Amino acid sequence: MKTYILIAKKEIKIALREKLVLALSSIILVLLGISLFTGVISYQQQQKAITKAQDEKRKEWLEQGDKHPHIAAHFGTFIFKPKTVLSLFDFGLDTYTGTSVYLEAHYQHQFMFRPAQDHNSMIRFGELSSALVLQILMPLLIIFLAYASFTKEKERGTLRLLNSQGVTLTSIAWGKVMAYFIILLTILTPFILGILLLSYWLKTPDTITDLGMRIGLLGTTYMAYIFLFVVLSVLVSLKSSVSRNALLTLLTCWILFTIIIPKTMANFGESLYPLPSMKIYKEGILKDKENGLDGKTPKAVRMAKLEKELLKKYKVDSVQQLPFNFEGVSMQAGEEYGDKVYDVHWGRLLNIFNKQNKLGSYVSLFNPYMALRNISMGLSATDLSASVDFQKKVENYRRIFIKKMNNDMAQNSNYGEFYEYSVGLDMWKSVEDFKYKTPSIYSTLKKYVLEFVSLFSWIILLILLLNYITRKTKLNNG
Amino acid sequence: MDKITKTIIRYEWRSFVRNKFQLLLLAIIFIFGMYAIYYGASVVNVQKKTISDVQKIEEDEFYQYQISFDEELNSVDAKRKRDIASNPSYAWFRHGYHAVLPPHNYAALAIGQRDLHPYYHRLTGMSLYYQLFENEIANPVKLYVGNFDLSFVIIYLFPLLVIAFAFGLYSIEKESGVLAFLRIQSISIRKIVVTRLLFYFMLITGLALLISLIGLLVLSNIFSNENFLAAVAWLAGVILYSAFWFSLMFLIISFFKSSAFNAICAAGCWLLFLLVIPAVLNVWMISKYPIDTTHLAELTRRTGLENENDEKEQTEVLSEFLEHNPKYKASDSLFNNNRYAKVYAAFTALKDSHSKKDVDAYNSQIGKRNKWVNQFLWINPAVNMQDAFTLISKTDLNTFLNYQSALTKFHKDITSFYYDRLFWDKSITQEDYSKRPVFKMKESNERWSMVLFSFLKIALILVLIGLVGFMKMKNS
Repeated sequence: MKTYILIAKKEIKIALREKLVLALSSIILVLLGISLFTGVISYQQQQKAITKAQDEKRKEWLEQGDKHPHIAAHFGTFIFKPKTVLSLFDFGLDTYTGTSVYLEAHYQHQFMFRPAQDHNSMIRFGELSSALVLQILMPLLIIFLAYASFTKEKERGTLRLLNSQGVTLTSIAWGKVMAYFIILLTILTPFILGILLLSYWLKTPDTITDLGMRIGLLGTTYMAYIFLFVVLSVLVSLKSSVSRNALLTLLTCWILFTIIIPKTMANFGESLYPLPSMKIYKEGILKDKENGLDGKTPKAVRMAKLEKELLKKYKVDSVQQLPFNFEGVSMQAGEEYGDKVYDVHWGRLLNIFNKQNKLGSYVSLFNPYMALRNISMGLSATDLSASVDFQKKVENYRRIFIKKMNNDMAQNSNYGEFYEYSVGLDMWKSVEDFKYKTPSIYSTLKKYVLEFVSLFSWIILLILLLNYITRKTKLNNG
Repeated sequence: MDKITKTIIRYEWRSFVRNKFQLLLLAIIFIFGMYAIYYGASVVNVQKKTISDVQKIEEDEFYQYQISFDEELNSVDAKRKRDIASNPSYAWFRHGYHAVLPPHNYAALAIGQRDLHPYYHRLTGMSLYYQLFENEIANPVKLYVGNFDLSFVIIYLFPLLVIAFAFGLYSIEKESGVLAFLRIQSISIRKIVVTRLLFYFMLITGLALLISLIGLLVLSNIFSNENFLAAVAWLAGVILYSAFWFSLMFLIISFFKSSAFNAICAAGCWLLFLLVIPAVLNVWMISKYPIDTTHLAELTRRTGLENENDEKEQTEVLSEFLEHNPKYKASDSLFNNNRYAKVYAAFTALKDSHSKKDVDAYNSQIGKRNKWVNQFLWINPAVNMQDAFTLISKTDLNTFLNYQSALTKFHKDITSFYYDRLFWDKSITQEDYSKRPVFKMKESNERWSMVLFSFLKIALILVLIGLVGFMKMKNS
C-alpha cells in the first residue's frame, strides 16, 4: 500500500510540472466555467419565457368569455415544454425536440419549433454544455496526462530501475492510475458540488423528480467514466513500445468512440428502420379515422351503431328523447375513436424510434462514451424518453379537457341547440392548469440498464486486464 | 524538378507503399467516403420520394375538381363535388397547393439543415402561419448526432488523415537518428520537409478529390448547367481545405519539437476548430441573441369571429379588410351576398397581416444571429468550409429562409386567386384551372459570391499560416 501512495505522490508532482497538463486542465476548467455560465443564463431565459407564455395562455383560456364548450375545445390552449433544471448541465436533445404544441378537439397537433431551426449549419458542430466538456474533452485530457506514463519510463530506462528495487509493475501501474484519478477528481468534485448547489438554488418550477439522487448518480457515473479512461490510457501506455504509438492508439480510440461510432450508428439505425414522412403519417391517421382501423367500419357506420345501442339501452325511439344530448356523446365517441387511431399510429412511430435508438444502446456495450452520453441525458431528463413522456402527458391532458367539454355538452345542452348554449368561467376554471413532472428516476434507470452494464463491465474488464498484464509482463526487454 | 526532389519523392513513395498501416488508413477513409455518399443519397432519395408523393396527391386533388365540371349533376355527391370545385366560398380553404423545395442534385453530399427544416408544404387560402410551422418527422437522437455525409468525411476525417501522415515528417527522422544523415546532405531541411509535405498533400488531396468525383458523378451529370459550377466549387473547396490543414501541419513541424508534441498540437487544433470554437460560439450566440418562439405558437391557433352571427362584428372585419385591400372596394356585393364566407376569408387575411409583425421579428432575430456569427468564420476554416459546402449544395439556412419567403408570396397568390372570385361573386370556371397559381422560388443571387468569399477567407488564413511556418523554418 505504501508504495502505491509513494508512486502516486511522485506522479502527481511530475504531472503538475508538465506545462501541457496544466494548460489543458486550465482550458477544461475555463470551458466548464463558460458552459455552466451560459447554461445557467439560457436556462433562466428559456424558463422565464416559457413560464410567462404558459401563464398568458392560461389567462387566455380563463378569459375567453362565454361560449359553447365545443367552440372552447377548438379554441384550445398551448403547452410549452418546461426546461428541467439539469438541462443547464446536459442540453441533451432539447435543441432538437419541439417546444410548443397546440391542443384542440379532434386533432393531435405535433410539437413545433425545434430550437435548432433558428440556427445556421454551425449548430450541427454541437453546443458547449458541461456534459460535452466532461464526456468528450475530459478523456482527451486523460489521454494527454497518461499516454506516456509507462512509455517514458521505458524510454528512459527508469522502469527497470524501479523494478530492481523490488517494486512490482502492478503497484507502479496502480500508483499511476491513482495519481491521475486524484488529479481529475480535484477538477470534477467541486464542479459536481457546484451543479448540486446551482440546481437547488435555481429549480423554481419543480419539474424534475428525485433531483438529489439524479445528481449523485450523475457524479458517480462521470467518475466511473473518468476512471475507466485513466485505466485504459495507462494500459495502452504499458503495452506500447514508444510514447508516439501510445498516443496515436489512444487518439484513434477517442475519435472512434466520440465521433465516428455514434454518428455511424445513428445513421445506420435510420437506414435500417426508415421513418414515414409526416404527410404519409397524417394521411394514415386520417384514413383510419374515416374508414375505421379495420378499414371496414366507416365513421357513419360507427355512429349509427352507437345511436342504435343508446336507443336500445334507454328504450326510446329517437335521439331527441334520450336523457342527454346525443351530439355531445357522439362527439366524445368520435374523439375516443380518434384517440385510439392516433395511439396505434403514434405507437408505431415510437416503436421505430426505439428500434433506431436501441441499436445505439447495444453498441454502447463497446463504446463507453455512448453509454455515458445516454445515461447522462436520461438522468438530466433531456433524453428522448423524457420528451416522449412529456408528449404523452400533454396528450392525456388534452383528452381530459376535451372530454370535460363534450360531457358538459351532453349533460347540459339540448339536441340541435348549438348556438343557444354557452358556458363560462366556472367551466374554464374546472379544467386544471397543466403541471408537468418528469418520470421517476427508477423508470429512467430501467431504460438504461444496458448502458450501466456497459460501463460496469468496461471497468471490471480493464481492472482485470491491467492486473493480468502487469503480472505477466517481464521487464527484461522493456 | 531537380534530381534531389525526384529522389526524395521516389523514396517517400517506397516507404509509403511499404507502410501497411498508412495504406489501411487510406482504405478505411475511402470506404467511409463511399458509405457517406451512399448514406447521403439514401436520405435525399427518401425526400425525393416524399416530394413526388406529395405532388401526386395534389395532381389527383385538382384532377378531381376538373373532371367534376364534366359530370352530370344528378346526385348530391356530384353537386357537392362541383361546389367544391367551382364555388370560391368553399374552394379557397379546401384547395390544397403544394410548395416544395426540391433537393439540389448534390444535396446528398452535404445534407446540412435539410433534415431539420420542412421542405414541402400544403397551402390553402387558410391562415398562412397555421400551415407554415409543421415539422417533418425525425428522430431527435439522429438530428443530434448529425449526418454521416461526404461533407462530414471531408471536414472531420480528412484533417485527421493529414495529421496522421504529417505529424512525424521531421520529428520521427530525428527520433530514429536519420536526421543526422540528412543534415550532412547538401539539401536544406526545409526543402526536404516541404517536398515530403507536398508529396502527401498530393496523395491525400488526390484521395479526397477521387471520392468527391465519384460522389459528383454518381449523383448527377456534372456537365449540366446547374451542376457544373457546383461541382467545380466543391472540388476547389476540397483542395483548399486540405491545403489549409497541410499548411497548419507545416507550421507545427516548423517548431522542430518531438512527434508527440506535434501530434498533441495538431489534435488540439483539430479539436479547437471542429468542436470547441463552434460549441462555444453556439452557446454564446444563444445567450446573446435569445429567440423566444412562444409567441409564434399563438399564430398556429385556428380562430374565428367572436360571434359569427354578430352583424356589427362582421361589418368591422370587412371594413378593416377593405382598408388593407382597397381593390375590392368597388365590389358592391361585398356586404350583401354570401356574407359569412366573405367575412371568414377577410378575417383570415387580417389575422395573417397582424401576425406578420411577429414572424418578421423572429426572422430578423435569426438574421442578426447569422450576421454576428459570420464575423467569427474568419478564424475557423472548418465551419467556414461546412458553410460553403451547404451553400454549394443548397442545404444552408438561407435557402430555407428564401423558401419561406417564397411560400409567403405563393400564399398571397393563392388567396388573391380565390378572393378575386369570392369577393366579386364569380364562380371558378374550368378554364380558371389553367391559370391557377404556381409555386416559384427565385435563385439567391448571393450564393456564389458567398461561396467565393468563404474560399477567400480560407485561402488567406492558409497562406498566412504557411508563411509563418516558412519564415520560422528559415530562421532556425
